[in-house]
Amino acid sequence: MEERQYDLIFICRPDTPEPDIDKVIATVEHAAADKGGKIESVNKWGRKRMAYRVQKLREGYYVYIVLKSTHGEVIKELERRLKVSDAVMKYLTVRVDEELKRQEKFKRHRERRAARRPRKTAPAAPAAPVPPAGSEPSAAAV
Amino acid sequence: MSEGHVPQQAPPAGPGGGPSGSGPRPQGGGPGRPGGPAKRGKRSFVRKKKVCRFCVDRVDFIDYKKAEILAPFIQERGKILPRRMTGTCSRHQRWLTVAIKRAQNIALLPFAAEL
Repeated sequence: MEERQYDLIFICRPDTPEPDIDKVIATVEHAAADKGGKIESVNKWGRKRMAYRVQKLREGYYVYIVLKSTHGEVIKELERRLKVSDAVMKYLTVRVDEELKRQEKFKRHRERRAARRPRKTAPAAPAAPVPPAGSEPSAAAV
Repeated sequence: MSEGHVPQQAPPAGPGGGPSGSGPRPQGGGPGRPGGPAKRGKRSFVRKKKVCRFCVDRVDFIDYKKAEILAPFIQERGKILPRRMTGTCSRHQRWLTVAIKRAQNIALLPFAAEL
């Protein structure tokens, strides 16, 4: 089976000390390694304000992990561990490889088309209209 | 001579041969709608054609992690704005909806505004 890529985001309680967060990340890494997953990157977003209250808290410590695996067993195990962890308030796993593949496809397609018709796309590229920065739809809101 | 009397058999009238169609249909009309085209000659105004912002920017993938690019597409109460408001094309609206829903799940965007 082909390799799948997942985004794993989890939110720790904001009062968790830094070493404890590292411990959670370490357990995730170990669990992934045990089940044959590969951690691509670990990115700590740090304390962020959440859009709504979770466990009566307004802030959370976000950690973003990208991992690769050939089967979904890893995710099952990771989610189980995150669920039992006291520090973790919320988590989300998203399989992203298919969307990334789709993105690649569009990109390739566009490049091919640009290569085929250089005359037409060449002037269009520098003259690309600058997107309006203003948030237009917010004015239409109720 | 043969009798010219042909026994006529009246076909049995079907049950309920009344007026077909059920229920009183409102005969068009009613209070005339105001502002017909006859009254004021021109009421056409030029509406600016909205274009999909993602198409302009050539976006191939809408990232659910970037709440700031999704935020203009939700109402203050947290609802996702329809295409007719934002002018997003159908393909990008589909991606956008998925991205917004993912962002909501990880508390980057609200499900509904509080209070």
